Amino acid sequence: MSLGRSMIRVGAEERVRGRTIFGYDLERPGDLHLAAVRADQAPARILAIDPGPALALPGVLRVFTAADIPGENRLGIIASTRDHEFLAQELVRQEGQAVAVVAARTLAQAQAGARAVVVRYQPLPGVFDPAQALREGAPLVHPERPGGNLLHERRILRGDAEAALRDSAVVVEATYTTSPLEHCALELEGGRAEYVDGRVVVAACTQNPHYDRQDLSRFLGVEPERVRVIQAETGGGFGGKLDLSLQPFLALAAWHLKRPVCMRYTREESFRATSKRHPLVMHFITGADEQGRLTGLQARILCDTGAFASYGLAVNMRAAVHASGPYLVPHLDVVSRAAYTNNPFTGAMRGFGVPQIALAHEGQMDALALALGRDPLDLRLQNALRNGQATGTGQVLRSGVGLARCLERLRPIYRRWQARAASGEDFREGVGLAAMFYGIGNTGVSNPSTAQLEWGADGRVTLFTGAAEIGQGSDTVLRQLAATRLGIPVEEIDLCRGDTDRTTNAGATSASRQTYISGNAVLAAADNLEMQLVQAARQMLGQHHLELELRGGRLAALDGRRLEPAQVARYLAGQGQRARGAGRFDPNFSGLDPDTGQGRPYAAYAFAAQCAWVRVDTDSGLVRVKEVAAAHDVGRAINPRGVMGQICGGVAMGLGMALMEQFRFGQTDNLHRYHIPTFLDAPRITPLIVEEAEETGPYGAKGVGEPALIPTAPAVAAAVGRAVGRPLRHLPISLERVMAALTHEEAEHAN
Amino acid sequence: MDLCLTVNGQPISLAEVPGEASLLEVLRGRLGLLGTKEGCGVGECGACTVLLDGRALNSCLTAAWQAAGRQVTTIEGLAQGGHLHPLQRAFVETGAVQCGFCTPGMILAAWDLLQRNDHPSDQEIKQALAGNLCRCTGYHDILRAVRRAARWLREGAP
Repeated sequence: MSLGRSMIRVGAEERVRGRTIFGYDLERPGDLHLAAVRADQAPARILAIDPGPALALPGVLRVFTAADIPGENRLGIIASTRDHEFLAQELVRQEGQAVAVVAARTLAQAQAGARAVVVRYQPLPGVFDPAQALREGAPLVHPERPGGNLLHERRILRGDAEAALRDSAVVVEATYTTSPLEHCALELEGGRAEYVDGRVVVAACTQNPHYDRQDLSRFLGVEPERVRVIQAETGGGFGGKLDLSLQPFLALAAWHLKRPVCMRYTREESFRATSKRHPLVMHFITGADEQGRLTGLQARILCDTGAFASYGLAVNMRAAVHASGPYLVPHLDVVSRAAYTNNPFTGAMRGFGVPQIALAHEGQMDALALALGRDPLDLRLQNALRNGQATGTGQVLRSGVGLARCLERLRPIYRRWQARAASGEDFREGVGLAAMFYGIGNTGVSNPSTAQLEWGADGRVTLFTGAAEIGQGSDTVLRQLAATRLGIPVEEIDLCRGDTDRTTNAGATSASRQTYISGNAVLAAADNLEMQLVQAARQMLGQHHLELELRGGRLAALDGRRLEPAQVARYLAGQGQRARGAGRFDPNFSGLDPDTGQGRPYAAYAFAAQCAWVRVDTDSGLVRVKEVAAAHDVGRAINPRGVMGQICGGVAMGLGMALMEQFRFGQTDNLHRYHIPTFLDAPRITPLIVEEAEETGPYGAKGVGEPALIPTAPAVAAAVGRAVGRPLRHLPISLERVMAALTHEEAEHAN
Repeated sequence: MDLCLTVNGQPISLAEVPGEASLLEVLRGRLGLLGTKEGCGVGECGACTVLLDGRALNSCLTAAWQAAGRQVTTIEGLAQGGHLHPLQRAFVETGAVQCGFCTPGMILAAWDLLQRNDHPSDQEIKQALAGNLCRCTGYHDILRAVRRAARWLREGAP
């Protein structure tokens, strides 16, 4: 049985041999190449686009502008906020927005063509700060939009926070800020499109092929059946490949030219053209009683969503819902708002606002511990949510609340590091702790997955799934789940994944949802397949009441007879039928109350706690993270090696968020200026798996992809704060910020 | 420019290679060796690492003509027939491969290290691979893989 056993990842051998063809590698000889013309100023009105100089260059065949889009130019994953113009129509709302696309015979010719297109702009007044964007009279990013620059507001109201804070023994108040971040998946965006028999076929890296197909058909103004999307092997995503990127350009060119086209982003273009992590400003007032019990929270949160909505609504919702952290907080008054600005658009990035909000709720826990003279771990344990308690949205969690166990797993490590943390002439060490919870799947909306399993007449089983594998390991986990339920070795299952002609919608690879939601869909497909095999076997044997079940990969009858499913499949094939089971799963949720935010936004939650041990060089302000221990309640580790890989990768990404990453358009838009953790930055990581089964999860499983990252930055911030003797509330914790903290300058500068 | 070089043990002659073409462009564009990846084009990420006369370097920063008359090894040339190189096997078995885009460059950079140092310390491994970025693994399992491969190369693989 493969469940709970560390498996070698599907596709690993092809990858070490260099045989895996990623979206970036799809170019074939004879393909036309595309290059985008991107606005070098914003906001601005487009006065004229002159393709003439580009068309005069050798090899340039065509210059596309918004006028060439046959369908709807405004796309986006969230239907109520669809506003991303893939080719600017009249207004350019952010720098780097595409204005035109050049098709040419070679990449160099396409790039030369893109440089030659002449665009005349009239500059417009812009707004680049989300607080200013919400003031009366601010320039409007989308002037035609009712509601002005406010994209979304979400309140979470429970009890009477004002009274609770007034009556608290201790109240702490602080503002926390984070910076825009870039995903930096190693694979740059790449893809290819063809026109085949009246249809457009787009193969590209993506985290959500079935969504891509919907929006591409809207873009082309055709029925979805006329678009086929194939998820190319995708070299990392982290949320950066959830929005459409270059697929609309590929589809548009293939549609008009009826020829194969390919496109790739450069690293600079990837920085400029794709979404970023939302920077948040978080003002928190938190209270506790004399015993240390949390009493109430008032939080005001502001998210800069940039020029387009993308996933902004989802980030804003999550920030609000998770503001109280993984603790029992009886009284809440949370208001989170997301505002449009003319900054680069922000969207999904691993954690959807929760890594940001965790900086605030964990900073507040440490401030309370200090004020109460309590140990940070004990205070968290005292307030940790338990099975049977209610979250800030009033959702009573029946099972799967593993935070206390995570904290207990960390306790001996945390204590040992505290005892060993040293200080010297030119360095100081500190140990910090942080916890989190994370709702699995989309917030307060239906987000089903579907899957099929087919038992072939040749004895092999094929799993059909639309769930995008992007390096996180769903191909492996979904096969393990199918193999376990069918009682066959995992090696006997073939996979058909991510082709919209052959699979059905599994929703996005986001929100740590594929193990829990698509995993359950796969189990449902296996149950359905078993039922079909049993019925067909009865027919085949002419015994309509025979008791049969699928056991150990065979159909077993009560009378001791055994039947190979392949025999049954052959029998069905003879009747022109197939042994194919279909499954669907949608988490049990309820929408949030529009006024109070009370409801059941997720069916399951992951929990985690991490501690970090840092060393601060007092001469330079340099912070080195020596060790991180990460305890994650994943419900059930289907593939423990995969879970640990996610945890270690998340920790490294969290470390980048904590210490070094900050995107500034035009300044840090390559890997030379935008630093992500290297091998030398990576700390020693101790991943610890905690399994507090979620009763609705596939064999108890939840998810880990985003939780892995969430506690790291607050744990590192706490450790640095402990080392330098004052809290660090703004990310990244740059050398300047550390030196300011060390020299006790008045205020740490916010973002 | 005509270019003669040896790639993965095969002598190759190429006509009309532009003087400014990088080794990466020639490997991918002319020879179809797509295992060598491009992640930044400016030598910051290491995804394009290949071996030139046994030393790892960024093929995006190397002019194709610099490889004239020399031996180039790409990831496709590492396995001997059906047998994975111990580094490749160790990467597969330890979970050092997630999305896999950095993997070819990472393995070739590690090959260079183990060629020079058959018993590297963790710090030596980290230093040797510091020019190869990975966004998925946190480097944790890559370190384990290189340690394991070093042991196999010294003591023989099981």
